Amino acid sequence: MNTVLSRANSLFAFSLSVMAALTFGCFITTAFKDRSVPVDISVSRVMLKNVDDFTGPRERSDLGFVTFDISAHLQPIFDWNVKQLFLYLSAEYSTKSNALNQVVLWDKIVLRGESTKLSLRDMKSKYFFFDDGNGLRANKNITLTLSWNVVPNAGILPLVTGSGHKSIPFPDSYETTKSY
Amino acid sequence: MLSIFSKIPTHMDYKGQKLAEQIFQGIILVSAIVGFIYGLIIEQFGWTVYIVLTGFAVSCLLTLPSWPMYRRHPLTWQPVKPEPSGESREKTQENTKRPKKYK
Repeated sequence: MNTVLSRANSLFAFSLSVMAALTFGCFITTAFKDRSVPVDISVSRVMLKNVDDFTGPRERSDLGFVTFDISAHLQPIFDWNVKQLFLYLSAEYSTKSNALNQVVLWDKIVLRGESTKLSLRDMKSKYFFFDDGNGLRANKNITLTLSWNVVPNAGILPLVTGSGHKSIPFPDSYETTKSY
Repeated sequence: MLSIFSKIPTHMDYKGQKLAEQIFQGIILVSAIVGFIYGLIIEQFGWTVYIVLTGFAVSCLLTLPSWPMYRRHPLTWQPVKPEPSGESREKTQENTKRPKKYK
């Protein structure tokens, strides 16, 4: 504390410690918060095709097309320890070969300060809904759920599943049109 | 030119150092508490950081330069004495005339 540099050093070190404590406080005030909100998912159209999956097995695989609506109010999730949300819609189903299949159909990033009211109509999936075989045809229980990663300023990265999911049956026959 | 800079005092006395440390710790702690509460209310952690940085800047301004208020208790040194001739006399003088304890 005798010279300017030693004062600057202790001042900087003290400020840094205080900032670390504040960041920990920011984490601890939001660590035990429930970040699940109700989500309303509805499916307007389901189409099933049987096409060549060039990335997977050398056979024709089931390819599903789902047109869906999502509405949710995301405002309760946001607080001072949230930078952004990564929302993704996943389909879960079981087939003969796998007890649990999970396919991400669509995703969206909601930044802090953007509109938190999610109201999407007639959305088409972003990614291909391929099964690794023929497990989609006549599968009566394909569940769509919306989940999200909460990206924080400090602390853990929670993975939350929204309450409210939609189970849809897939058709028994393939569409034969080639216009995809 | 350089003599102007070398005339700027950078040293504080002991009481001044203690005062400077108390001042910067107080300012930063108060700004941290205020910033935390403000950030919690408006739900923006960025504002907490800005307020703490403001406190940091203010305390830099207040305590880095050696302001006159940190130099108000200079150490009272013994006056320079002429070299005594006998060594035995010097020892007795040291024992009887102890320097005033600094408060």
